[in-house]
Amino acid sequence: MANGPLRDACIFLAACVCGMASGLFGIGGGVLLVPLLVLLFSFAQHRAQGTSLVALIPPTGLLAFWAYAKAGDVSWRTGLLLIPGVFFGGIAGGWLAKRLQPQRMRQVFAGLMFLLGVWQAVAAWRR
Amino acid sequence: MTALILLLGLGVGVLVGLLGIGGGVVLVPAMVYALRMDQHLAQGTSLLILLPPVGLGALREYWKQGSVDLRAGIFCAAGMLVGGYLGGLIAVPLDSRRLQGLFGCFLIGAAFLLWRKTERVAPRTAAVADVKREADGG
Repeated sequence: MANGPLRDACIFLAACVCGMASGLFGIGGGVLLVPLLVLLFSFAQHRAQGTSLVALIPPTGLLAFWAYAKAGDVSWRTGLLLIPGVFFGGIAGGWLAKRLQPQRMRQVFAGLMFLLGVWQAVAAWRR
Repeated sequence: MTALILLLGLGVGVLVGLLGIGGGVVLVPAMVYALRMDQHLAQGTSLLILLPPVGLGALREYWKQGSVDLRAGIFCAAGMLVGGYLGGLIAVPLDSRRLQGLFGCFLIGAAFLLWRKTERVAPRTAAVADVKREADGG
């Protein structure tokens, strides 16, 4: 797709869908955004990942977070303890991504997510 | 318990940098199972973690390589802000059990998308080769 307002609008709409998933499931949304940028807008893999990280720098989940906080669904202590780990781990991961062939890694991650998903769905079913 | 939480954050962070994702997709199930949180509480806490720019260090590594489309990134951020609010409105009144089931289905779907993406690595190498040919003047 050529650069221009149309492409910008399409990216905005795709990101809206990712944002819905973000608010609905309490996630960053990058896990959807990266494949969508690659599949719909023919981004190269590394470029999609770097761009997804840009989208995650501003507090895009702020409005979604507010909805949860109002309902009392936030554990502040755990959240604050997790932040430094995620930050420093992120530097290590970014460094690794330049050196690893990330294809195998992503396949392993996709497999892991599939198993986690089945586990969550089955646990919900049997509860 | 505190050490477990710190380590968990570090592990998730590596995935953030490696895959260019927010990390919530791993954090939520980890908090539900390892820390025994309720589904809504885990999702709200995950959103709290994603408020500060936890991916900034990772972004710097991509930036140094020129693998960033700033313009597209800004449009993505705007879209996610709007969509996130709608998603939050839908999720909060949902029954916790139903939300957990939905989350499971979402993970399965995202896993398929991620897997499919791995088959698209070849065009990148081709594009790099094209750029090299142009640079060589041929």
